[in-house]
Amino acid sequence: MDTAYLIETVIKIVILLLVFSALAGFGTYFERKVLAFMQRRLGPMHVGPYSLLQIAADGVKLFTKEDIVPQNVVGPIFKIAPVITAATAFMAAAAIPFMPSFTIFGYEVHPIISDINVGILYILGVMAIGLYGPLLGGMASANKWSLISAARAASVFISYEVVSGLSLLAPIMMVGSLSLIDFNNYQAAGVGSWMIWSQPVAFVLFVIAAFAETGRTPFHLIANDHEIIDGFGTEYSGMRWGLFFIGEYANMFFISFVIALIFLGGFGDGSVGGALALLGKVSFIFFFFLWTRAAWPDVRPDQLMWLCWKVLMPIAVVNIVITGIVMMF
Amino acid sequence: MSFEKFKDRNVGEDGYYMVDIEDYPETGWGKFKQVASRSLKGELFVGLWVVLREMFKFDIHTVQYPKEKLPIGPRYRAVHKMLRLFESGTERCIGCGLCEKICISDCIRMDTKYDENSRKEVTEYSINLGRCIFCGYCAEVCPELAIVHGGRYENASEQRAHFVEFEDMLTPIDALKAGQQEEFPGFGAIIPGSDKSVKKTPLAY
Amino acid sequence: MANEITITIDGKEFQTQEGEFILNAARANDIFIPAICYLTRCSPTLACRICLVEADGKQVYACNAKTKSGMNITTTTENIEKERRAIMEVYDVNHPLQCGVCDQSGECELQNYTLELGVDSQSYTIADVDRSSVDWGHIHYDPGLCIVCERCVTACKDMIGDNSLKTVPRGAGAIDGSFKESMPKDAYAMWNKLNKSVIGLTSGEEMLDCTSCGECAAVCPVGALVDTDYIYTSNAWEHKQVPATCGHCSAGCQISYDTKHTSIDNPEEKIYRVSNEWNYVSLCGAGRYGYDYQNSDVTKDETAFAAALDAFKKADTINFTSTITNEEALILQRLKDKFGYRLVNKDAQDFKTFLRDYSVVSRSSIYGSDLEKVHNTDFVVSVGTALKSDNPNARYAFNNAVQMKGAGLYFHPVADPVVDGMSKNVVSINHAPLQEEAVLYLILDLFANKDLLPKKVVDYLAGFHSEKTVTVTETIKEKVVTQVTKKVVNKETGEEEEVTSDVTKMVPKKVSKEVEVDENRLLEIVGAPAKFEETLLKLLKKKETFSLIVGPDLYTHPSSQNIARLVALIEKYSAFELVMIPTLTNTLGVGLICDLDDEAGEYAVGYNTQGDFVLSGLGDGDLDMPAINQQEGTLTSINKRVNPTNVAVGYGGYVLNDIANALGLKAEYTIDYTEQLPTSRGFKTRKFDDLPNHYTNAGEEVRGYLLGKMPVRMKKDEHVTPIDEDQALDGTLVYLANPVRQFTPFTNKAHQLIAEGGLYMSESALSASELEAGDVVSVKTEAGEVSVKVISDNKIDGEIAYLPTFDANINSEALFGGYRFATASIQKV
Ligand code: SF4
Ligand code: SF4
Ligand code: SF4
Ligand code: SF4
Ligand code: SF4
Ligand code: FES
Repeated sequence: MDTAYLIETVIKIVILLLVFSALAGFGTYFERKVLAFMQRRLGPMHVGPYSLLQIAADGVKLFTKEDIVPQNVVGPIFKIAPVITAATAFMAAAAIPFMPSFTIFGYEVHPIISDINVGILYILGVMAIGLYGPLLGGMASANKWSLISAARAASVFISYEVVSGLSLLAPIMMVGSLSLIDFNNYQAAGVGSWMIWSQPVAFVLFVIAAFAETGRTPFHLIANDHEIIDGFGTEYSGMRWGLFFIGEYANMFFISFVIALIFLGGFGDGSVGGALALLGKVSFIFFFFLWTRAAWPDVRPDQLMWLCWKVLMPIAVVNIVITGIVMMF
Repeated sequence: MSFEKFKDRNVGEDGYYMVDIEDYPETGWGKFKQVASRSLKGELFVGLWVVLREMFKFDIHTVQYPKEKLPIGPRYRAVHKMLRLFESGTERCIGCGLCEKICISDCIRMDTKYDENSRKEVTEYSINLGRCIFCGYCAEVCPELAIVHGGRYENASEQRAHFVEFEDMLTPIDALKAGQQEEFPGFGAIIPGSDKSVKKTPLAY
Repeated sequence: MANEITITIDGKEFQTQEGEFILNAARANDIFIPAICYLTRCSPTLACRICLVEADGKQVYACNAKTKSGMNITTTTENIEKERRAIMEVYDVNHPLQCGVCDQSGECELQNYTLELGVDSQSYTIADVDRSSVDWGHIHYDPGLCIVCERCVTACKDMIGDNSLKTVPRGAGAIDGSFKESMPKDAYAMWNKLNKSVIGLTSGEEMLDCTSCGECAAVCPVGALVDTDYIYTSNAWEHKQVPATCGHCSAGCQISYDTKHTSIDNPEEKIYRVSNEWNYVSLCGAGRYGYDYQNSDVTKDETAFAAALDAFKKADTINFTSTITNEEALILQRLKDKFGYRLVNKDAQDFKTFLRDYSVVSRSSIYGSDLEKVHNTDFVVSVGTALKSDNPNARYAFNNAVQMKGAGLYFHPVADPVVDGMSKNVVSINHAPLQEEAVLYLILDLFANKDLLPKKVVDYLAGFHSEKTVTVTETIKEKVVTQVTKKVVNKETGEEEEVTSDVTKMVPKKVSKEVEVDENRLLEIVGAPAKFEETLLKLLKKKETFSLIVGPDLYTHPSSQNIARLVALIEKYSAFELVMIPTLTNTLGVGLICDLDDEAGEYAVGYNTQGDFVLSGLGDGDLDMPAINQQEGTLTSINKRVNPTNVAVGYGGYVLNDIANALGLKAEYTIDYTEQLPTSRGFKTRKFDDLPNHYTNAGEEVRGYLLGKMPVRMKKDEHVTPIDEDQALDGTLVYLANPVRQFTPFTNKAHQLIAEGGLYMSESALSASELEAGDVVSVKTEAGEVSVKVISDNKIDGEIAYLPTFDANINSEALFGGYRFATASIQKV
């Protein structure tokens, strides 16, 4: 392994971490504002002009808050749980090509940390591990709400994970590769070649699963504030809670990238326009996450399970079969 | 006698209609149909559309408290005020102790004494705002309309026991002279026109 | 006594005593009849007329009409309703609308009845006159609020015996003539009377000069009479009422300490006033105003406590007074049982000895009567007590009995204008000190059943009688005869009109005969006034029940043993029922519970008195103790009742029980001893918490329990010795007594009573001497000497001055060799 590659990778990792941690902050600000506007409110207004410095304030607050480890929690597990959530989110990002490759000072940069050939599998797998955060944190918290939340996490997890896997199977069959770069290249021919047209059912299923995976409304079940306080996060404070938080928002961004790359043509031909288009698509998907939160109600955990197992999974299977049949002929 | 008019709760005739509530689906198939019809009928998108529309309309209703404050209604019950007599400027409170007695959270206390003018003088009077539930009983029971509710509702305090004393509540004498004391129309005040229903006591002079 | 009869009230049948007032019969059966002016135990005044009822079809006043067998009473009719409403409207005429500040508000009968009768408008009117409020000293009178129910006047006259209040003209104009027609009859009559008067002082002075009991303010139904100290300090409804027993004298009155937090800044409980069930118990000034004698601001002083334990280990004697509870007395007795302390308590010891000597003759462990009975007797005799200061309630009972158509004799060396002022039917005899035996022999002579009385005594008494007498008396004899016949006739017709003429025939015969033949030298010895025997005959007319009150002068008398036997003989062989006044608050209880010793040993612990180590509820000792208003426990009263009392104000220090526990006794609370009080001495095994403390509507005293009677094991011995006529105290005399409203240093701690003691001299004695009030004099007797200020006291008369015990700075007891009188030389310094 040559040194340049090593340095490049380290730099990429650092940039990735910094950018997406910061984005988590901006994400909240953005979310609060969007939700406020949709509900005829102003949202945060006081920290700086239009409360732009809210993120800084929140950051300072999170960093300086007293770190409380309650009395009856299982200490090590309690402490490691937020790290799992944050770490897995960023680990998953390793296989995501955020941009087309470009040349800087004559050095070609691939904005992907590692283009492993089982990219999608890796991303899905690592993201799934992220589930251990809420699960362990909830169980270790010695709090009834947290425990309910952990139970919900487990039950919801076994439901949506089936759908996300199966729904992606059809596109994978069509592309014939697990690398996201290959996916991108498969759709590089333009809007018409986007996977969403050839696999609309898979797209819908995956988006639904993505909502469940990131725990966004209408599947905001694991930490549903009006039912179980903050769920697994109830007993956490300060930066420990902050890690959960960053993990969640980073997840949202990454899943937006994944959706854009798999179904919406990614960065297309790799031109600057394509790169901007990718950012636009990701932004829209992120916005969509917020938008639904303003408009839709939550379902119950049992409804989600029912939906996943009895409706979405059969549809996904049928979709695979049909895709297979179409590909045979 | 018919109960019809009591049962008909459509008080305002127009603008009210019964909402159709479908029966809850019993079977799996029924549930599936419900999900399918709700998803495909586009109800979800109606919601999305409404919030998006509002976002672009940007018709904001936020009152930016504490920079902006809404006006308080006259019957609002916030921190008490003690009024003075308009004519003489003396305190209206006669120290009868009824407010102390009626106070539901037992947060009023007062000390009285016999003063040089053979009158009952209130030497100290306090309301523990930490316990007051702003029920308005004290204002209602006060025979002199001395204690009334004011509009000051900001009670944040560093202590649980947070008091107001007589002097804090009393209209300052210069404010009275400047005509700033207004008669209290709210809780406990005399109903307009109630003097018509009072029978006059005959007097020999 | 009176017969049990059946009456019907509003259709329901009830049992009551014949001759009971309808109002009392109704109240006893929980039937409500509005009534304002009537005071239970006093005579009806008919001022308010609101108690109208219909009895057998006739309108009568319930407070004044007596029940008859089979009477049918209706408490309300249409006409009565009209009258009552009109009466309340009249009371509300010109009544200031000042309930907001009035001290009576919340317990005001005018408020209550105005609401009860639904008075919501006024029909009557009259121009008001100036009725400004006046300050009468410790009482404040606001005629503007007065409804002239005369309850104050009645209480002061019929119960207290001071007669300090009366009605005076109001000076109002006449009531508009048209009302006479338009108004209900009784309401008009009542208004007519009301409109003519307000209340004033009998003396005509500016300030009240009475025995300051405050009972007038207590009975006042409105806010017209208020204790000056209480005005505008609190509302009645803010008070927590602590049922208690007054701790100042042996009467053991039921009181309620009315407490509330001290002020906004100070949440500690404070006593604001003392209230009482004035229909059934009347307080004296000490009970009413001497409430804040608590030992305040005491904390647990561990060093002092350790020192106290050391002192107890060292001590062989405990000196104490009788101002302690029964439980504390029992603790002391237990300590004696365990460690062999000598218990020294002079007043209890004297009383105990007296009781024992009495038992030898009477075969009863304790005197037979109580003050309740005295109230209802027709003829009362008091011997050996300065009635008004030794036990004010005994005085009220005496006065009440006299006022309710009774009569009385008051034997005491110190003349008492208050007793003299009670009624014409009281004869005061100011005998010489030490002649109490002669007084008792006289009573035996006058009232005992000579057939039953031991022969020896009869013979001895006969020796005082002679047919032929000295020449001087002869003339008097003649005069008496003529005068008496006239006077008796005059009085009969003048005073009691309902007496029929046949009595007038009988009396003069009898009197003239007896007087002519007999001369009783005992009368001379006791110094009875001239014509005493005839006066007595008049007084005794129609008297059926007799009470004898004896007091502390006798217990300390040099021949107290003989006196006790004489007292017992009187009780045994005459119609007299006997009450003894225990010297101090709990003298009776202490005497029964403790085995007392005469002599102190080497090292004494003093409890509220002197000692080498002093425990004191007064706060001036080596270790603090709670005062009685800070303790729960029981007190034994003159009425032989064991009365519970409760904690009115907090106490933060150690109590006697803590010491006892540290010394090896075991009880969590002092009141654990209540049920252990000795049953062998008449106490009962009852828990403190089970003791009631209230009166019923029928006026029945439901307080604590009555002491049981115990068998007497001593040999019967009715032997009495003759009088020593020559024994006398020569020269200037002093007496050991307290002014009214003072008993002990505890009363002198209360802020309204605090005073400096001195040598109290009557106004006449003072003007006859060279002394003036305020002079400092040295009073010297055989036993000791004190120097004190001279104080003029218009509540006594005659030559004898007295020294008080309430002032801790004056050690008056040291001047007296036991007996309460002593010869003294008084020198101005
Ligand atoms: S508003 Fe209600 S709770 Fe508050 S002081 Fe008045 S009576 Fe008491
Ligand atoms: S009720 Fe009114 S007049 Fe009476 S004490 Fe309270 S404030 Fe004063
Ligand atoms: S006496 Fe009674 S009615 Fe009169 S002002 Fe006082 S409380 Fe009111
Ligand atoms: S002062 Fe009171 S008790 Fe006396 S007459 Fe007047 S109202 Fe009655
Ligand atoms: S205080 Fe007692 S003695 Fe004096 S006037 Fe009143 S009732 Fe009579
Ligand atoms: S109570 Fe009978 S007349 Fe007043």
